[in-house]
Amino acid sequence: MKPAPFQYVRASSIDDALAGLAGHGDDAKVLAGGQSLIALMNLRLVRPAVLVDINRLSDLAYIRQENGTLAIGALTRQSAVESSDVIARLCPLMAEAIRFVGHRPIRNRGTVGGNLAHADPTSELPAVAVALGATFVTRSQKGQRTIAADDFFVAPLSTTLASNELLTEVRIPVWPAGQGWAFMEVSPRAGDYALVGVAATLRAADGVCQSGRLVYSGVGPRPIRVAKAEQALVGCSSGEATFREVAEIAAGQVEPSSDFHATADYRRDLVRALTRRALMVALDRCQKGA
Amino acid sequence: MSAPAVKDHPIHRRWIGQSMKRVEDPRLLTGRGKYIDDIVVPNMAHAAVLRSPHAHARIKKIDASKARALPGVLLVLTGAEAVEQTGPLPCFANPPVAQYCIAVDRVRHVGETVAAVVAESRYIAEDAVDRIEVEYEPLPVVVNPGDASTSKGDAVLHPDRGANNIAHQRTLTFGSYDEDMRSADVIVRRKVRWPRSGAQPMETVGAIASYDEGTRKFTIYANTSMYNYVGWLMAVSLKIPAHKLNIVPTIAGGSFGSKIFTHKVLVLAATLARACGRPVKYVEDRLDNMTSCDNHGSDRIYELELGLKRDGTMLAFGMKVIDDYGAYLQFGVGHHGNAAAQLTGPYRIKSARIELTAVFTNKCQQGAYRGFGSEVNNFALERIVDAAADELGISPVEIRRKNFIQPEQFPYKIPTGNVYDSGNYGAVLDKALEMADYDGWRSRQADARKQGRYIGIGLASCQERSVFSSTEFWFWNHEPGFALTSSPESVNIKIDPTGKAFVTLYSPFWGNSPETMATQIVAEQLTIDPSDIEITYADTDQGLMGTGPGGSRYTVMIAGAIAGAATDIKRKLFKIAGHFLEASEQDLELRDGRVSVRGTDRGMTIPEIALQAYYFRLSLPDDCNSGLDARFTYDHPYTTQPNADRTDLGVFYPIMGHMCHIPIVEIDIETGQLTYLKYVAVHDCGTVVNPMTLAGHVRGGTVQGIGSTMYEHFYYDEQGQLVTANFADYLIPTLKEAPPNIEVGHVVTPSPFTEYGIKGGGEGGRMGVPPALASAVEDALRPFGVKIDTLPITPMKIRDMIRAAQQRKG
Ligand SMILES: Cc1cc2nc3c(=O)[nH]c(=O)nc-3n(C[C@H](O)[C@H](O)[C@H](O)COP(=O)(O)OP(=O)(O)OC[C@H]3O[C@@H](n4cnc5c(N)ncnc54)[C@H](O)[C@@H]3O)c2cc1C
Repeated sequence: MKPAPFQYVRASSIDDALAGLAGHGDDAKVLAGGQSLIALMNLRLVRPAVLVDINRLSDLAYIRQENGTLAIGALTRQSAVESSDVIARLCPLMAEAIRFVGHRPIRNRGTVGGNLAHADPTSELPAVAVALGATFVTRSQKGQRTIAADDFFVAPLSTTLASNELLTEVRIPVWPAGQGWAFMEVSPRAGDYALVGVAATLRAADGVCQSGRLVYSGVGPRPIRVAKAEQALVGCSSGEATFREVAEIAAGQVEPSSDFHATADYRRDLVRALTRRALMVALDRCQKGA
Repeated sequence: MSAPAVKDHPIHRRWIGQSMKRVEDPRLLTGRGKYIDDIVVPNMAHAAVLRSPHAHARIKKIDASKARALPGVLLVLTGAEAVEQTGPLPCFANPPVAQYCIAVDRVRHVGETVAAVVAESRYIAEDAVDRIEVEYEPLPVVVNPGDASTSKGDAVLHPDRGANNIAHQRTLTFGSYDEDMRSADVIVRRKVRWPRSGAQPMETVGAIASYDEGTRKFTIYANTSMYNYVGWLMAVSLKIPAHKLNIVPTIAGGSFGSKIFTHKVLVLAATLARACGRPVKYVEDRLDNMTSCDNHGSDRIYELELGLKRDGTMLAFGMKVIDDYGAYLQFGVGHHGNAAAQLTGPYRIKSARIELTAVFTNKCQQGAYRGFGSEVNNFALERIVDAAADELGISPVEIRRKNFIQPEQFPYKIPTGNVYDSGNYGAVLDKALEMADYDGWRSRQADARKQGRYIGIGLASCQERSVFSSTEFWFWNHEPGFALTSSPESVNIKIDPTGKAFVTLYSPFWGNSPETMATQIVAEQLTIDPSDIEITYADTDQGLMGTGPGGSRYTVMIAGAIAGAATDIKRKLFKIAGHFLEASEQDLELRDGRVSVRGTDRGMTIPEIALQAYYFRLSLPDDCNSGLDARFTYDHPYTTQPNADRTDLGVFYPIMGHMCHIPIVEIDIETGQLTYLKYVAVHDCGTVVNPMTLAGHVRGGTVQGIGSTMYEHFYYDEQGQLVTANFADYLIPTLKEAPPNIEVGHVVTPSPFTEYGIKGGGEGGRMGVPPALASAVEDALRPFGVKIDTLPITPMKIRDMIRAAQQRKG
């Protein structure tokens, strides 16, 4: 379990990193926290010719509020998100979800950008990013562009990020007052990737649901938003009966696949249970926050 | 050998029974332990292995030219080349199954060694492995153990051993089985599946072998066991005289059985070292270990039957069992000897039958895993006892209590011929019920059910055999083969001129606490302070016989050996002191490190006596030689020969511990997830040397048992690919999957046959969890009529069963 030979480049600036990535096509890879990449390299499932280490780019590690938007630098460690007051206030869904990402030592190294760029469809943060309509800021030697989270994730471990591009920042609208939330998942063990996870938001007033988001991990090749279920919320009385129906719709809509750890049937069961439970918690928070 | 004399155990003990901190811990917990990977030998090169991607294939051609051309590569060795120097690996089965450290012309499981590379670094070695080109001719793959008896042609793994894939088949009947079944009012039948899981020590297996041209001798450092028992068999494989091989033990970063012999790795490292003329280090990585080590455990399909009277009295217990041994048969079917040691559990069952079919399939061979197959029998027996309780409408507590062997019936001979030395099963059960507040939980369970909550209360009362005798290795064989009957343990104790004790062990550190055990027992025997005792491990050059840890034997056996050596030392201490103090030896006593004349203040300390013993020959009694040391080889305390037709297997595992586990769990019926509300584990391992380390064994073993029950599975798909060959898919429970508090209780029924009455307790926790948890889950899901007869019980499977039950109801 040793990686194939590779050339190591330690970037000392973003431009440096972009230069390192340029001209190698798919043969260059960014090294962030290494918590996914190094394992794949050790198994020789990934064999980059060039590894561009961005860990010295401290200007990519930040959490800040910029006029109505929460901006998180790509190199921000997951544990920094976990203990950030700003995140807790401005993006409580992410604060809740981040605790499901691996274990603390993994979050100490693992980065937000690395997690998203890795694009594991059972991962938590991609579901959160899609649920909250995040935008990803990327840079290459050609310049900067932004990609909507929904357009970013393509398939397992595959995104619309070009191989010479660096993800630099994630932008998330600041949490709207009165919006409830919940992140829930079932994984084989604590800290494992989810069998099914759900990122839910809900707005309700006077006993009626106004809007909600339901995005799932573990039920498709990328985070899966179930619009039918979201629509079924709107205008219905906020409470268990509605959530039960919505959960049923969601379970019927998703098309999960079967693998060794979970059959499609089991994943659907989890979608059903987690949807109802997440909406109950979201409602409770919505009512408390309002 | 008839039953040995009953020992009188001293009541007053200074060190035995103390929760002394482990003497191993300071160096291990501060990262100063020297494991195999820490050993550096001058000029050492590094090996890596090419593993078969096929479950079953002929090796047509190997082209290693690109690998050999890579700078830094010293050697590429194929099986065909290796076999010119190195013969087959040791095998305990009879007839043996040929297995080589590098597959010769055929691979029989995914992960089998196809070629090995030696290079200047492990990195280069792995780069070279990548460049070896192999042409395989795929052969039919056998994965389903049920197919083994009908396998033909190329699907037969070992054609030299028979026309199909049955490795061994034999039926043993103990007592008047058919008659007892005929007289039964009910015969409860059940199918039970125990899937393959395995020991997962943090450290994999490794060896560093060097060959000295001058002495023409091999030295192998290895994290192995049994080197002082059968280590010379490796010399046979290497085709060298046994005195030209020295195996030096390194401490092992865990074993749980998986490092019991490690023949593949040792012989491979030595073969490579000889071929390339450099010392060679080969340490398995996790893929090597999971696909090709000795850590795969039992893999059984049972058809069980239990005959009872209507009142719940058990009469006869029988089984058809198919055991999927994988591609080779390293330890024969010894695992079923182990199961036979406690076949009928803690119950008075008059007769029994085992119809065993051991089969070959294209999977990694079985090795040894904590319980060595007896834990599987615990599961099978306790499952059918629960089934009987259900069928007869008797509570799980009462059916057990009613059938327990009673304290006054010991020593008790079970149908297989094995003898249980002692026990008090009712006391263990009572203590567990009390600690668990069993009755209280039964009423809480009923209340919860009204609120739609599913609480389950499990119960298992299981045996925990300890101190194996080697007859179990061969008594299943049609032709016994090498029918050995020794399984001793040795120690050497030297008191140096300053009065310090040097204790040499002939078995390795395996992740257990041999140094702590030896320290406490030596301290007790010689009244020496533990801080004045030093423990070391002998290599095979220095080795006396040591069978090694395994089968929960080490503490019992080393206590016997230490008592033997200490007796000789005390004799000499008394002789010299008596001489100086001009007192008769009968008037002397040893206390607090001093030999004194009873009732006076006249005496000599051990250092004072030792100094005389070493340097003042002319002051010693005439028949006293210089020095102060003793060695002792302690044989198994109680073993007898099996009879010729194997209707009686003899006594081979008599030091019988017992346990009762009571898990209380709640199941989320929507997700199938389980949470622990309580977990109680009460054990009786006889006299406890160190309550703290024993509780550690129980707790650790319990979590490991939770792994086997709820999470772990070496799963091979239809192509024979090991789907769970990594720790993302092979799920080991972490602290978060363990009950928040495993409440450990002890009942002490000393063994009449061992020193101090100690019984083994090394495997206990894992041996009780599977049936206990299975019964808890079944109990929680009683409203759905769910039966748990296969492991692991994952949340998905729980959900599947509930869903099926709900659909049945409509
Ligand atoms: C035991 C274990 C359990 C885990 N459990 C979970 C879990 O439950 N949920 C979960 O979501 N994750 C889990 N992870 C993965 C963890 O979250 C990783 O940290 C994350 O997936 C990758 O982040 P990283 O910073 O380590 O990236 P790396 O491993 O360094 O890189 C991952 C990929 O992203 C690319 N990349 C990284 N940064 C950038 C960038 N700025 N721009 C462009 N490309 C980039 C790399 O080139 C690589 O392809 C687990 C990991 C381990 C080891």
